[in-house]
Amino acid sequence: MPRILLVDDEENIRLLYAEELRDEGYEVTLASDGYKLLERIETESPDIIILDIKLFAYNGLDLLQEIRRKYYNLPVILCSAFDSYKGDIKSMAADNYVVKSSNLAELKEKIKLALDTFIP
Amino acid sequence: MEIKDVNPEHIKKADIIVGIPSYNEAKNISYPVIQADLGLLKYFNKFSSVIINCDNNSPDNTRDVFLETPTESPKIYLSTPRGIKGKGNNFRNLFNKATQLKAKAIIVIDADLKSITPEWINKLGEPLFLDYDYVAPIYLRHKYDGTITNNIAYPLLRSLYGRRIRQPIGGDFGFSNKLCSKYLNNNSWDYNISNFGIDIWMTNNAITNGSLVCQAFLDAPKVHEPKDPGSQLGTMFIHVIGTIFNLMEKYDHFWLKVKGSKPTAIFGFGLGERVLPPKISVSLEKLYNNFNTGLKEFYSLWENIIEKEHRNRLIDIACRKIENFEIPMELWAKILYDFSLNYHIYLEKRKEILTSLVPLYHGQTLSYARATWEMDAKQAEEYIEKLCFTFEEQKPYLVKRWKKN
Repeated sequence: MPRILLVDDEENIRLLYAEELRDEGYEVTLASDGYKLLERIETESPDIIILDIKLFAYNGLDLLQEIRRKYYNLPVILCSAFDSYKGDIKSMAADNYVVKSSNLAELKEKIKLALDTFIP
Repeated sequence: MEIKDVNPEHIKKADIIVGIPSYNEAKNISYPVIQADLGLLKYFNKFSSVIINCDNNSPDNTRDVFLETPTESPKIYLSTPRGIKGKGNNFRNLFNKATQLKAKAIIVIDADLKSITPEWINKLGEPLFLDYDYVAPIYLRHKYDGTITNNIAYPLLRSLYGRRIRQPIGGDFGFSNKLCSKYLNNNSWDYNISNFGIDIWMTNNAITNGSLVCQAFLDAPKVHEPKDPGSQLGTMFIHVIGTIFNLMEKYDHFWLKVKGSKPTAIFGFGLGERVLPPKISVSLEKLYNNFNTGLKEFYSLWENIIEKEHRNRLIDIACRKIENFEIPMELWAKILYDFSLNYHIYLEKRKEILTSLVPLYHGQTLSYARATWEMDAKQAEEYIEKLCFTFEEQKPYLVKRWKKN
């Protein structure tokens, strides 16, 4: 069962997304901000991270750079309420970018795509 | 014939090298040399360094201009023997020299750069001291600068090998001594690689030999001698695409297994002022005419290369006026896959196959230019992202046919 670490500062989003993703068969753990995120990745070894950009005390795009530098191949999907960050070069370090919606079809599809990616 | 090696300060060892390949760059080379020197002094002053001009015996006096440019860092001039040209040959001399000097990090920049700052040296060099082996550039470029990259090299390399490197033939790179040795020991050297195929060869090999790859965001846009995609770039096109197709044969055990694509780490975000890249003009009429002339000239050859269904769609596209010209992304991906496959099959026709791809590339460039005409840089980038994704989606089409052959 693939493990997802979901990082979002809005509790209702965390709960909604966690429920839907668990229904899809994923194991989901939650983080409300970027505090000690790298340590959590180290201990929890998630298969994929869903990362919000506008976190209360952290910038998701900066967290993404830290994650990517330490974890060469760990899939990260940026999930933001705003489309505008797509144009930020920093977002190129993510596997994919999804605009938040109550319909999680696109997010689920991109999670599957990221987990299916294979490079020898 | 011997390689020319002018080493006025008798440098025998250097931790960092900035290499500048050139041919007839006397009027341009001083500027990047000065910027490289400032970068080395500002960011790498704890290390021994040298700036190396790897030249093709330029008759325009590039050598003297280079050696007489005032710098704190020592300089070495290398040249291929008289009559031997090619950017790749210059790189080969650089690889050998870097090995001799036991360099830890090698940074390469273009000789015609007009926008390089000392920070570029830091951004291309720093990741090499953080265990990365290959640093490719990301810069702001005008949407019509780099049309071979946007329409072929980036989507094809990404879909084949699964690593997203936005500027695989950017011309400005960093690489480690470990990767330098691998380049020297690689046995795939050929005519295309000795020339303009060298950049894609380096990027391609960095991915396939398991090197750690990252990208460096160079704040300033790349300003150099721009080229109109409709009338220039012909030779470069053949060398670059020929190299990609040749390496597809060598590394099919790798790319046949790749599914999807992954990003790389990006370094170099600072607070630098973002400057817009200069506008590149593109002649839509010339691209349109080149496409239609090519269709007439090469159609009989294309009958052996392009699947019938795809050819029929091309004829339909050719009948349209320029205002309605569009090659759908999925068709462009399949056509390129058809070419790569038949380049693999028809050994004796390789040169003709590559030559006949040029008008199709012009057609695709026209299609891209029309689709992005009203778009800003960000929107054009999203368009390229969609194009890349289409290449990834269509890859099973290639895999299935390649395995049959």
